[in-house]
Amino acid sequence: MKPLISIKSGGPASWAIRIACALAVGYILLWIPTRGSNSLIDTATTALTLMGAALSLNLLLGFTGQISLGHSAFFGIGTYTTAIFVTRWGWSPLKTLPVAFVVAFVVGAVVSLPALRIKGVYLALVTLALGVVFPQFIKWPKIAWLTGGARGLNDTGFKFDKNNRTYEIFGWNPWGNLRGENVKPFYFWIGIGIVAIIYLICRGLVKSRVGRSLIAIRDNSTAAAVMGVNLAVTKGIVFGLSAAMCALPGCLTAMKGSVVTPDTALLTVVGSITFLIVMVVGGAGSLWGPIIGAVVFELITEKTSDWVDPDKIPSLIRPIFSWSDTAPAGGIFALALVVLMFVAPLGLVGLWKQTIARVVSVVPRPAGSGTLDAPESSAGGIPTWRPQQEPPAGDEAE
Amino acid sequence: MTLLRAQGLTAGYGPVTVLHEIDIEVNEGEIVVVLGANGAGKTTTMRAISGTIPRHGTIEFQGHSIQKAAADAIVRAGVAQVPQGRGTFPELSVQDNLLAGAYVRRDGSKAIGDDIRKWFSVFPRLEERATQRAGSLSGGEQQMLAIARALMSRPKLLLCDEPSMGLAPLITQELFNVIGRLNREEGLSVLLVEQNANLAMHMASRVYLLETGVIVASGSAAELSADDSIRKAYLGF
Repeated sequence: MKPLISIKSGGPASWAIRIACALAVGYILLWIPTRGSNSLIDTATTALTLMGAALSLNLLLGFTGQISLGHSAFFGIGTYTTAIFVTRWGWSPLKTLPVAFVVAFVVGAVVSLPALRIKGVYLALVTLALGVVFPQFIKWPKIAWLTGGARGLNDTGFKFDKNNRTYEIFGWNPWGNLRGENVKPFYFWIGIGIVAIIYLICRGLVKSRVGRSLIAIRDNSTAAAVMGVNLAVTKGIVFGLSAAMCALPGCLTAMKGSVVTPDTALLTVVGSITFLIVMVVGGAGSLWGPIIGAVVFELITEKTSDWVDPDKIPSLIRPIFSWSDTAPAGGIFALALVVLMFVAPLGLVGLWKQTIARVVSVVPRPAGSGTLDAPESSAGGIPTWRPQQEPPAGDEAE
Repeated sequence: MTLLRAQGLTAGYGPVTVLHEIDIEVNEGEIVVVLGANGAGKTTTMRAISGTIPRHGTIEFQGHSIQKAAADAIVRAGVAQVPQGRGTFPELSVQDNLLAGAYVRRDGSKAIGDDIRKWFSVFPRLEERATQRAGSLSGGEQQMLAIARALMSRPKLLLCDEPSMGLAPLITQELFNVIGRLNREEGLSVLLVEQNANLAMHMASRVYLLETGVIVASGSAAELSADDSIRKAYLGF
């Protein structure tokens, strides 16, 4: 089927759409903290936390093809780094972000050592062990002096001075309109900052020479090696970077909650699974996938949180979920995952791309425009070659 | 001048040794063909040279030992491999596949872009499909892409692992013609492993016959096909 509209990539129409999208996103981002209810801001902040973690997992799994079920541990490293530095040494929470980044990078790079040799289900098991061990390690009595053991740590977030409400970041105060007791927007903006940093790192990597080498490793690691990609170094750095980025939303969890315990759901293996689901539902191997996935995940969780009471369930779908005596968000996601794997293995973003491709065709820029405009000179006398016998192979794999 | 010299090359997988002390030489400007049946160790030979599996013996490239070098260092030294079964990256576009082939180059996007245009002019089908996913290409197109991608690193020696695999005879013939022309007109040295003796021997400067990890005969294509016993036993024509 021929698409109805065709748009030139980089042309005015494509820019108009980009600007419209940017304005829409900007509007939503400003609307939530200024007009939204406190619970909405809370939901949005949680979504941002999941976004950050799923984005960093996506760099590792979606783009480089290395599975990790241990990202809850890296998330937890972030949480505990902030919690420990704030409660034990009185640091300002924001200044613990770079520390958490470095600590998680080192741990991630060390954990990646077995990842250099194993893949698939074996790597899943090794990283799963990390996810399982982390909460137990935090509870270890011998380091309870530092981590607070099973009881956890209290007052890990910001200390707000009720009289003089300025929260400066390195001497800069962008939060003019935080009045009274309302500090929720503050965490929302930190979340935005963290997600923006992670997104930009991922985007910068993926759209570059390095990104091509990551996808090459995922698609065919032997071929990548004979292209000159150093598998060990690349995998190690990506693993470390993914871990480091995953620690940042972990820090946010410590900042906004006043208590941190090793049994916080996202710090256990449940967290790893959640990040994985968010990433897969949104779209693995796509930059926007985890972002969409996190929004959808949080919206469903929030909308169905009072479905414990069968009377709150919309009558149309009441028979399906009324048997549950807990909120059915988990069940809904399990179902959604099964359906998605059949309908759109590349997640919601993949589904969107498929659908939109039927209506709009984006004409890509001519091959290598910019770098390739130089007049042809070196092709020399090599005759061109065009196989005659093969059928046109246009849409073979579509 | 000797470009590649492997002596006593031994390699395998884990406890299994596949190659037993083979000697292979490629001189500058030659097309050297290694013939052998399934399981003879052809692909293992390629992998041992390109450094993707552990190996023993001495391997010299342009007079420097590359025996201890890692796979990426060997690419930088000027040896590019077209892996068996093509090994294109299906989710990358044709153009990005070529850019991935230029991964080790540091001479700037201008020079790399010029090379992409050059290979597009040699393989016009690739230019038509420049922005398509490589996975949507036909087998012959993917093989062209794999060769063009290997050439993007500007190698002095091209290792071709069974380029005819899974291709129609006519496509294979044309592919070999292109390799022959690259050799004549660009001075590219090629080490090619094949099962298809008929085709490969026509363009070979020299031929090695590999059987269960041992080289059983070597010489010019004419010498080998003149020897009746060798021809009947190994070449099948």
